[in-house]
Amino acid sequence: MPELRKDPILGRWIIISQERRKRPTDFIVEEIPGTGGFCPLCPGNESTTPSEVLAYRYDQRDEKNSSNWLVRVVPNKYPALVIEGGLDKEGEGLYDRMNGIGAHEVIIESPNHQDVFSYLPTERMVLVFKAFRDRIHDLGNDPRFQYVMVFKNFGKAAGASLEHSHSQLIALPVLPRMIVSELAGALSYYKYKERCIFCDIIRQEIQQEIRVVCQNEHFITITPFAPRTPFEMWILPKVHSSSYQKEDDLKFTYLTDIFSESLRRLDACIPNVPYNFVLHTQPLHSAEIEHFHWHFEIVPKLTSIAGFEWGSGFYINPMPPEEAAMYLRESLEHK
Amino acid sequence: MKKILLVDDEESIQLLYQEEFEDEGYTVISALNGEEALGRFRDSSPDLVILDIQMPGMNGIEVLRQMKMIDSTIPVILSSAYHEYKQDLGAWASDEYVVKSADMDDLKRAVRRHIG
Repeated sequence: MPELRKDPILGRWIIISQERRKRPTDFIVEEIPGTGGFCPLCPGNESTTPSEVLAYRYDQRDEKNSSNWLVRVVPNKYPALVIEGGLDKEGEGLYDRMNGIGAHEVIIESPNHQDVFSYLPTERMVLVFKAFRDRIHDLGNDPRFQYVMVFKNFGKAAGASLEHSHSQLIALPVLPRMIVSELAGALSYYKYKERCIFCDIIRQEIQQEIRVVCQNEHFITITPFAPRTPFEMWILPKVHSSSYQKEDDLKFTYLTDIFSESLRRLDACIPNVPYNFVLHTQPLHSAEIEHFHWHFEIVPKLTSIAGFEWGSGFYINPMPPEEAAMYLRESLEHK
Repeated sequence: MKKILLVDDEESIQLLYQEEFEDEGYTVISALNGEEALGRFRDSSPDLVILDIQMPGMNGIEVLRQMKMIDSTIPVILSSAYHEYKQDLGAWASDEYVVKSADMDDLKRAVRRHIG
């Protein structure tokens, strides 16, 4: 019998379809050959990208846009939103509009074209997480922006158009609907229980253990109770914090450890699986929020969204998260 | 005279662009697909390339990657009827991205910026 599960934060229902139940080996990941040729993100080709807005180098005194970088952040060469100008908000009857102001940046995660994010050495991956923080912090100085969305597409099926490892961020003059809904859901729970719902989820997951993938001193990875796709994972700080941008470098080493472990477990279950990850953090000009908890959501691209899902908002997931967590826990032990 | 390699699978576009750019004083050579374009690029050493993206066989972004491997100093202008290829980071290897329009002013300005 299929089971309906409700996400306690968003109130979103998903269907766990027992009839369509699958094991990790049932998911077929299409092998996509690497694209050869010129790569605009590789060292030596810095002139093909806009001038960097941030770079970590072996020697920070080296010239801007020189080739010896470890992580490099550049504005999008052909952005959908533009950085210059005012918002010029206006109404037309019941309709609202404003200028398409925003910042769209690409975080080049490694100088090596073949490097895969999940297998970056700790000291290099930690720089990527620092770059996210430092760019959010910098863009937060611009009063026009309300939110910075950080995300990664890995694999062509997940939307990556270049194999050179990179993630992206978009600074927006409005709050994305997902964050508005998450903040509202978390506030509603807080008003009722006077506790952060994410803190309660962490507490319960540690107690029950059935959906815990891995954990360390500061972070935990779980498969959420009502996941949209098989092997969806959330990575959350164990101690309450609503702001990713306020985390320090030490925390990022723990984050790197658990992020890398979680992705490697996923890769061990389904090699080369395409995925997206998205950082959920508090709006830019907000003080610490008691009812909200920053976290990453990793969503493998294993099922396609069809008409029913688009129309109803109900996702159909062929794998219960308890099973996914078990496979993920056992995955590296078999290697 | 400066030489432009024009790559587009639409013959009507080819004729239009050829006439317009020859009137501007350029020599125009053309290719109808990616494979042909790479051959012309190697053999004719153009000063600039105008490259369509949506073509049968190899698409313009793949052609661009190959061209820049052969000679990254030759400017390539991507010219597409669609905005959405801007989201493909492979397009960053180009020197400009111009959305096709009837008056061609943007494209002509882009060409002049690179080869005068």
